[in-house]
Amino acid sequence: MIAVRRRAVLAALSASPLVAATACSAGEGVDTGDDTGGTSGGSGGGAFVAAISAQPDQLDPHKTTAYASFQVLENVYDTLVVPDGDDLSMQPSLATSWETSPDGLTWTFTLAQGVTFHDGSPFRAADVVFSYRRIIDQDLANSSRFATVADVTAPDDQHVVITLSEPTPNLLSRIGAFKGMAILPEGVDESTLATKAVGTGPFSLQGSSASEISLERFDGYWGQAPDIGGVTFQFITEPVAALTALTTDQVQWTDNVPPQKLADLGEDDSVELGKVASVDYWYLAMNCAKAPFDEVEVRRAVAFALDREAITEAAKFDTARVNQTAIPQDSKWYYDYAPFTTDVDQAKQLLQQAGVSTPLTMGLMVTSEYPETVTAAQVIASQLEPLGITVEIQTEDFATWLDREGRGDFDAFMLGWLGNVDPADFYEDQHRTGGANNYQKYSNPVTDDLLDRGAVEPDEARRKELYDQAAKQIVDDVSYLYLYNPDAVQVWKKGVTGYQVRADKAVNFDTVALPS
Amino acid sequence: MTGVAVRRVLQAVVVLLGVSVLTFLLVHLVPGDPVRLALGTRFDQSTYDALRERAGLDQPVLTQFLSWIGHALTGDLGVSFRSGDPVTLLILERLPATVSLALASIVVALLIAVPLGTASALRPRSFLDGFGTVVSQIGISVPEFWMGIMLILVFAGTLGWFPASGYVPFSQDPLGWARSLVLPAVTTGLVSGSVLTRFTRSSVLEALSAEHVRTARAKGLGPRAVLNWHVLRNALLPLVTVTGVQLAYLLSGVVVVEIVFAWPGLGLLALQSVQARDYPVLQGAVLLFAVVFLVLNLVVDLLYSKLDPRIAS
Repeated sequence: MIAVRRRAVLAALSASPLVAATACSAGEGVDTGDDTGGTSGGSGGGAFVAAISAQPDQLDPHKTTAYASFQVLENVYDTLVVPDGDDLSMQPSLATSWETSPDGLTWTFTLAQGVTFHDGSPFRAADVVFSYRRIIDQDLANSSRFATVADVTAPDDQHVVITLSEPTPNLLSRIGAFKGMAILPEGVDESTLATKAVGTGPFSLQGSSASEISLERFDGYWGQAPDIGGVTFQFITEPVAALTALTTDQVQWTDNVPPQKLADLGEDDSVELGKVASVDYWYLAMNCAKAPFDEVEVRRAVAFALDREAITEAAKFDTARVNQTAIPQDSKWYYDYAPFTTDVDQAKQLLQQAGVSTPLTMGLMVTSEYPETVTAAQVIASQLEPLGITVEIQTEDFATWLDREGRGDFDAFMLGWLGNVDPADFYEDQHRTGGANNYQKYSNPVTDDLLDRGAVEPDEARRKELYDQAAKQIVDDVSYLYLYNPDAVQVWKKGVTGYQVRADKAVNFDTVALPS
Repeated sequence: MTGVAVRRVLQAVVVLLGVSVLTFLLVHLVPGDPVRLALGTRFDQSTYDALRERAGLDQPVLTQFLSWIGHALTGDLGVSFRSGDPVTLLILERLPATVSLALASIVVALLIAVPLGTASALRPRSFLDGFGTVVSQIGISVPEFWMGIMLILVFAGTLGWFPASGYVPFSQDPLGWARSLVLPAVTTGLVSGSVLTRFTRSSVLEALSAEHVRTARAKGLGPRAVLNWHVLRNALLPLVTVTGVQLAYLLSGVVVVEIVFAWPGLGLLALQSVQARDYPVLQGAVLLFAVVFLVLNLVVDLLYSKLDPRIAS
């Protein structure tokens, strides 16, 4: 019996170390990266492995709205124009130049020549017409960006003419600020676009599985050929796993970084930390169609009771900047306006003026999809307590959250707007009366008028003035209660060169080089 | 025996039908709108309507259900709202990862449970028994995600023995497959193993006190022979059932472990489908889980009657 027992225990105890030993001796090299490099046939430079936090829902650039999809597609597709990495001003890409008619209604784009799609077909003006018509005619996810477009035509192979129903000074950012406006080859089999990408970008899609998507360098690329042989995107949801994968060389780059780890990472010599103020903003919105939040004094009272520094610190550590308007400081559209100081007495006075008796209960809807809203809500709840407002935090999954937002079934909610570039992106749909995304039901004719004029004003300085005034009105009316602009935070292996963290969080690996 | 099998299969079909109806209704009762979710916050009405129509969601629920069940009967589970891929393809794509993990976890669990449970039972209240109790108590109570993260930090981070996460298909690289399997399998295996250890211990204890064991001892059989022939054979019989249930549980996806280790299995697929309100995929996945449970139960029952002739008769 003793013999049996000893053997049994040994078997149990040795199980894992045994496997460990065989696995370990079999090769120290990390195979994930080399695999792709080996099979991609890239003639120099191995593959670069990036860990992203979610799997793209699909790869059709005109249909997806998921950030994970765009992280991949950014490297595969091109747009007519593209935001500059430093200041996000629109630069030539597939269009080398453009002209606007004096009335601002006709834009003529001259296209680059010698550009080839990944399937070998040459890029022509007809491809642009096909791509834009597809978005407009099929009412795809981004069709609202073409709301003022009357027609798109190709007078010849090298020119595209966009005719507008009203002047649209931000047309360039509408068609270039993100890859949802990518150019596809005319006649491409649309049914396969969800899984097969055919672009003109520096990398072509090699293969995808439930755990990763691999791209290989496109040798026919019209721009500067990438140094690396390809990029593999691994989907790692758990931030600790993503960071461990980075420190153990399993991956070379990730943006899946928990804010509380940043201090440690700053001291880690094996990784580099990139942090740039992003063009995203986070805010709280109260229901302007529901008493007592329909009273501007009540909304202003809440605005005076909050301490944005404390909320931001709790939600983002030191990776965000407090802001009382939407547009971040680094943008040329920034407007310096911050009327609210934390002042509970003034807040109480405002509540009195509005004739609101306390205690008052405010449901605050947040979503587990964005944990920072949950954290922020807890701080907000504690800050509104002295005012006599009891915050009831309602944490929903994102589908339910959106559903309730759409139905107007809330007192207040918290969320962010991501990837804004032009001032219209920041204000128009959110604050115009009846605007597509004006869920808080804010309505002020003064704001409407300013936004309408800003949308069509061709002179940039004048346009900024109009949006500044609109911003002031929106902030004073507390249509949104703006909180902060977060940083884009990404980390990569020491020795990786040529990578730039961008304010719009577009992820481009075409200029990256691996350590030799 | 054949009669039993036929009857059980027929029962299974009825259960499956019930499961499909229930799943369909429950899935549609959950608040949240897949179209709204696909469009995100920047949503405009005409796009919304177009997408909704394309997904068939503008139809009455009954029409949707009849169309779905009609197609399902012919083996067509529809296409994913999210990716447009056929549901069957998505499930088949995830199956190898899930099966690898489930089988490896059961192996780990049995490697822990049978020796430790038997040893504990042979010397009740000994140091080893106490050790076994403590270990399995820890295994049952520690959250899987915490255990997973600790294993990642130690064995992937500090020691660098295994990859921190990810799945390598066997066909692509058998060794990489094995290495990627170890940490997630140990995480789930420890939990399943803890359950099975307790079970093995009590069932060996019970077998030890049986009349025939005393008889065997009395007629002078050696301890090892008694253990092998009279105790373990009887004690491990119930273990087959419990192992079958554990395996079914593992095969239907261990969601938490799959998230921690970025393991592209069915659990992760189901979770993603719930989050995205991807009805077709969710329905397909639940249907598959039901099939797995039913089939494994059936196999266990039939195996059981094979191992223990008393049950068959």
